[in-house]
Amino acid sequence: MASDNIYLPYLMKVDGVRDETRDVRTLRLKFARDEDAAQFSFKAGQFGEYSVFGAGECTFCIANPPTRAGFIECTFRKAGRVTKALRDLEVGDTAGFRGPYGNVFPIESWYGKSVLFIAGGIALPPMRCVIWNCLDLRDKFKDITVVYGARTVGDLVYKDELREWSERSDMKLIQTVDPGGETPDWRGQIGFVPTVLEKAAPASADTIAVVCGPPIMLKFTFPVLDRLGFARASVYTTMENRMKCGVGKCGRCNVGGVYICKEGPVFTAEQVARMPAEY
Amino acid sequence: MAMLLAKKNLRALLRGAMDRKYRVVGPVREHGIVLFAEMSDPGALCLDELNTQNSIKEFFFPKTEKLFTYSLGKNDAAVADDFAPPRTVLIGGRACDARSLVALDRLFGWDYKDKFYFARREATCVITLACDRFDEACFCTSLGFGPRAAEGSDILLVPVEGDEYAVEAVTDKGRALIAEVKDVFTEGTPGAEKVAYPEKKFDLAAVKPWLERNFEHPIWKEEFLSCLGCGTCTYQCPMCHCFDIVDEGDIHGGARCKNWDSCQFALFTLHTSGHNPRPAQAARWRQRLRHKFVYYADKFGTEACVGCGRCIRNCPVCLSILDKLVLIGREAAAAPAQPAGAQP
Ligand code: SF4
Ligand code: SF4
Ligand code: FES
Repeated sequence: MASDNIYLPYLMKVDGVRDETRDVRTLRLKFARDEDAAQFSFKAGQFGEYSVFGAGECTFCIANPPTRAGFIECTFRKAGRVTKALRDLEVGDTAGFRGPYGNVFPIESWYGKSVLFIAGGIALPPMRCVIWNCLDLRDKFKDITVVYGARTVGDLVYKDELREWSERSDMKLIQTVDPGGETPDWRGQIGFVPTVLEKAAPASADTIAVVCGPPIMLKFTFPVLDRLGFARASVYTTMENRMKCGVGKCGRCNVGGVYICKEGPVFTAEQVARMPAEY
Repeated sequence: MAMLLAKKNLRALLRGAMDRKYRVVGPVREHGIVLFAEMSDPGALCLDELNTQNSIKEFFFPKTEKLFTYSLGKNDAAVADDFAPPRTVLIGGRACDARSLVALDRLFGWDYKDKFYFARREATCVITLACDRFDEACFCTSLGFGPRAAEGSDILLVPVEGDEYAVEAVTDKGRALIAEVKDVFTEGTPGAEKVAYPEKKFDLAAVKPWLERNFEHPIWKEEFLSCLGCGTCTYQCPMCHCFDIVDEGDIHGGARCKNWDSCQFALFTLHTSGHNPRPAQAARWRQRLRHKFVYYADKFGTEACVGCGRCIRNCPVCLSILDKLVLIGREAAAAPAQPAGAQP
């Protein structure tokens, strides 16, 4: 992409397709040109503009960790024109990618601490990148705990990875589904994420919390973390506002004076608390 | 001695530019409306109106801009952008219009540089006319500049007694154009300036702190109920710059385009989930005011409004940003900030 055109995407080839749920799919994309692959790098938390030529662009985080590079993955729900076109792509097809954009989770500054991940529904993808990033550097952290919930059992994404995480002895996975979303063989919790989190009462001492979910989940989860004793500066989230350009031009993504695409998408709960309630 | 241009020579200036293969853009009358448009004949120049309906921004940031073309084959794909904007003389903008360019430069240039905007900027020589009249929608002076400010212009023409303009060559680009068509200019002592200054209508220094303090305030509900969300104000505004990125074409070939968009549209911020951070028109107006007078000012050191009045003249329900700024000025005076938080 050696170009002065900031809107020009890398050309990508679809390298893998995986269905997560009935309407959520993960695409693995590889760079069509070796030069692009060689100079591309990113960090956990960053996002990009994924595109299908003829359909348009869509914003998603990079869902794979930088510790497993050479490709990028995105996980999305089929909702509109672009996500439908992305879903129609098959292995070998061409796609576009612009990025990486935005700031990062300051993972190095968490070394030596425990990390608690809390995610709801389709918000696991942005967090999956960080979870694997931490697991791939497992000896740098103390306890690693993941609390993940979805509306129904069918809506849980990355089922293979959830199984792998539940079997690992060096981390703890708490899964939950909303009341009514369980199946007869469901062995996880039943309840909304904030409630389940409060009941599980993970220790807050020397612990970083990372929360990803819809605005309503954040609203109910931050107070629980307060009660559990987490300082708001140790609670991170990634904001999923609507974006178009990703580079601070198009005026779409701001919450108050903060451009999510430039100053975010990663913020601490302390920073979020200072923003006007417009997210 | 100073450089002068007789008003009757304005068209000769444009003819000279056209002869030298410049594209010439200026106010022309189309279907009864005076608009900035490309001119094929200098005779079409129309200076009857104080302000055109559209702003000059579309000659730097067009309604739709091709970002690149693509073509897809069975096993390969190619993207190309062969972008080269035409060398242009843009005449007839006002001091407010020219100032909008300087303010937009900061947005399109921060961190990532939008080459489309800057290539058009570089290729365009802006000849501004200082105003000899104003109307009730004008408020440049309230924003701390005025009708003969030179900022953003390459050449400023100031009307003076004797049916002439005093010519100020502001930039090298302006000087170069003057050198190219020097025959149309004369030397002489300019007569008295005929520049009309609208009176100052509100205290700009009070607006930002008031907006910062009052994210929640009854005026957001009371004042903006009549807004239709049509987006006219933002489309006519020289400073509004929100855009969308869309593909035009199919799976074989086409182009990705940058198209104007508007924060006044309900869909603008709508999430896929159905959640909308700005669910009501009042929230969108608040965004418009805060973006122009708080966020842009914080980020880029200048307001995203130049007081041209276009949004006021063209709003179908007569909502006036000027009225609202005057109201905010009054509110601020009635309830000043606590001294600790007060702004100088
Ligand atoms: S907000 Fe209205 S007055 Fe201000 S620059 Fe835009 S169109 Fe002109
Ligand atoms: S032009 Fe008037 S009605 Fe239309 S969006 Fe702007 S303020 Fe609302
Ligand atoms: S996504 Fe365009 S400004 Fe942030």
